[in-house]
Amino acid sequence: MNVNVAGEDLELHVFKSVYWKRQRALWIADLHLGKASHFNRAGIAVPEAVTDENWQRLYHLLDHYHPRDVLFLGDLFHSAYNVEWDILGRFLKAFPHTRFHLIMGNHDILDDEHYQQLGLLIHEPYLEWKPFLFSHYPLDDVPADWYPVCGHIHPAVRLRGMAYQGLRVPCFYFGEQQAVMPAFGAFTGTGVIRPRRGDQIYLIAEDEIIPAEEGE
Amino acid sequence: MASESALIFTNTRAQCEIWYQRLLEAEPQLAGWMAMHHSAISKELRDWVEDALYDGRLKAVVCTSSLDLGVDFRPVETIVQIGSPKGIARFIQRAGRSGHQPGAASKIYFVPTHALELMESPSLRRAIAEEYVENRVPHIRCFDVLVQYLMTLAVSDGFRPDEIWPEVRSTHCFGSLDLQEWYWALQFITKGSRSLEAYDEFQKVEITGGHYQIHDRRIALRHRLSIGTIVGDTMIKVRFLRGKFLGNIEEWFISQLQPGDVFWFAGQPLEFVMLKDMDALVRKSTKKTGRIPSWQGGKSPLSSELAEMLREELYLYLEGFSPSPEAQYLQPLFDLQAERSSLPGRELFLIEYFMTREGYHLMMYPFEGRFVHEGMAALIAKRISRSQPISFSIAMNDYGFELLSDKPIDLDPVHIQSWFSTDHLQSDIESSINSVEMARRQFREVARISGMVFAGFPNKPKKEKHLQASAQLLFNVFKDYEPENLLYRQTYEEVMTFQLEEARLRAALKRIRSQQIRVEYPDKVTPFAFPIMVERIRERFSTESLSDRIKKMKVEWGDG
Repeated sequence: MNVNVAGEDLELHVFKSVYWKRQRALWIADLHLGKASHFNRAGIAVPEAVTDENWQRLYHLLDHYHPRDVLFLGDLFHSAYNVEWDILGRFLKAFPHTRFHLIMGNHDILDDEHYQQLGLLIHEPYLEWKPFLFSHYPLDDVPADWYPVCGHIHPAVRLRGMAYQGLRVPCFYFGEQQAVMPAFGAFTGTGVIRPRRGDQIYLIAEDEIIPAEEGE
Repeated sequence: MASESALIFTNTRAQCEIWYQRLLEAEPQLAGWMAMHHSAISKELRDWVEDALYDGRLKAVVCTSSLDLGVDFRPVETIVQIGSPKGIARFIQRAGRSGHQPGAASKIYFVPTHALELMESPSLRRAIAEEYVENRVPHIRCFDVLVQYLMTLAVSDGFRPDEIWPEVRSTHCFGSLDLQEWYWALQFITKGSRSLEAYDEFQKVEITGGHYQIHDRRIALRHRLSIGTIVGDTMIKVRFLRGKFLGNIEEWFISQLQPGDVFWFAGQPLEFVMLKDMDALVRKSTKKTGRIPSWQGGKSPLSSELAEMLREELYLYLEGFSPSPEAQYLQPLFDLQAERSSLPGRELFLIEYFMTREGYHLMMYPFEGRFVHEGMAALIAKRISRSQPISFSIAMNDYGFELLSDKPIDLDPVHIQSWFSTDHLQSDIESSINSVEMARRQFREVARISGMVFAGFPNKPKKEKHLQASAQLLFNVFKDYEPENLLYRQTYEEVMTFQLEEARLRAALKRIRSQQIRVEYPDKVTPFAFPIMVERIRERFSTESLSDRIKKMKVEWGDG
């Protein structure tokens, strides 16, 4: 699904990422790698196959777009060191022609050196790349000529239909003031948002992206 | 009511709060002489009520099944049952709480909460006269309880599997357990649910020389805190600013409150001050009105024995026999039902189909209790969906159920007959459960008991936030990635056995097949249909793809 935001052409992918065509940059938010392992270490059994899906999707996106830059908008890892770490290290090395950036989030709690050892370029609290301002948390007081893009919220909207039908669907949110990325991770929950008229909402179904009708 | 003392039983905690408040409004002189008792109220308050009841210091207590068993108090003079008691045994047991002298008759008043419920009164009388009471079917193969038990052993001195296996096997619950399943349980607590590869980090019970024990203090503490808790949604503690603890209310209710809002809880109006950590701080309010919280407890269904008595009473009355005063009182309702549609009968199974602004309503009235209806509704929804992808909103009560669709439903008589077939019943039920929420709901309990979901350490909820995953999320993960997980499978088995009561569902289908099926197309909503249509708690069923469903619906816009 192609959209134009802040004058830039973006491609939305059903794996919950955005590809910025002009700059060949891939945006991914809230990966929460290691969340399943984190639960397992605490004695709560979560099947590891959940994690496999994350890797498979990541690999597919990199293989499909061959981006020059990949921006992780925070919460790359769910918590402290675990074995996902080593896997990511090997993964990143498999793409030597791509630069990987991490804009720090609340779950990214290790010292900067650890991330840098993996080969990640760290940005805190935001990354400026005109016309976009990338952060993990939503930002306040953003100057008018910048368009902020954040993660953290794991946005979803509620839908209602006849016969009391209701659904909660994750989405891409492009508001007039800012954008919010859906959460990439396969084992993450969602937070419901109530968008305003004038906001662009793109609903993520299993294998397609459906724009929400405006003016309803 | 000129009586020394009274117990008023309600079916839900919310109803308990509502009735308490209304009684106080109607009889303000009861203040100080009336109390409330249910499971979300703090133990301290409940103990006080039980003591006061024992000493005869209270005139009235409004309660739930929390006062059914295990509490010793002198008999009260009057028992009031509000709404259907759902079962004969429970009704008799509650009646037995009354009566001052040995040998005196027990007196119990029944207050139906909607018209048709009145029919339960002669049904209960008939059941008591025939001494027809429910059997208690014990749960078996409860893997969640087994896992919890092993964890408890591991948290204290530890255990050796060889010594515990014979003990477990000797119980009724686990008598049919085989070694594979036993090994599965052992592996679950040590390694997670499958043999994991090198990079997995599951840690719980550790094995040293064949001895199983938990050494990690955090894990041990978490286990100790979570056993014995009543399963429910995330509970917020309600306490006064000065610290006194009142009880628990579910998080969704508290999240709707603004500082200054007034709500009733444990029989008094409280002003919400603020939320601090996992505690809702309140102060006494002088306002008379306020919101009433509710709790998502499991609703008891009509027992199959009581349902059978109910059908019998109804048929007998409609055939001209057994003119109980209750049935006669309902004659205008029966007349209206007959005028707009038909009355069900021994030989007649009634189906109604009509359209409103909400969609196309398909109503059926088996009078089998809500759980059997839930199963039958899901089964029929599944069978209907074989001709076309379709989405339903399903509602039910103890007398019937509704399938509500946003497109017309095909009512070819041949298809209708096939809906009630007992062929392929087990596999059809299993696949229909997959399309509804039943198993997901049941899984919450299994997840909590087996320790997969944890409410958080007291006073330290923030640190445990990283471990919060709803049972919903875990359920979806197991469904997609590990459907052979025994706890996940246990959920389905429990739904099949207890909620659907597969045997009972089968018997109901056979009975319906022996009846003539009549489809009515009423112009106006009928008295039988109405209480089901307004049921707020609904099941969702869909065999349509997510994309198709999304395209039919509209986003809930707001203020951003």
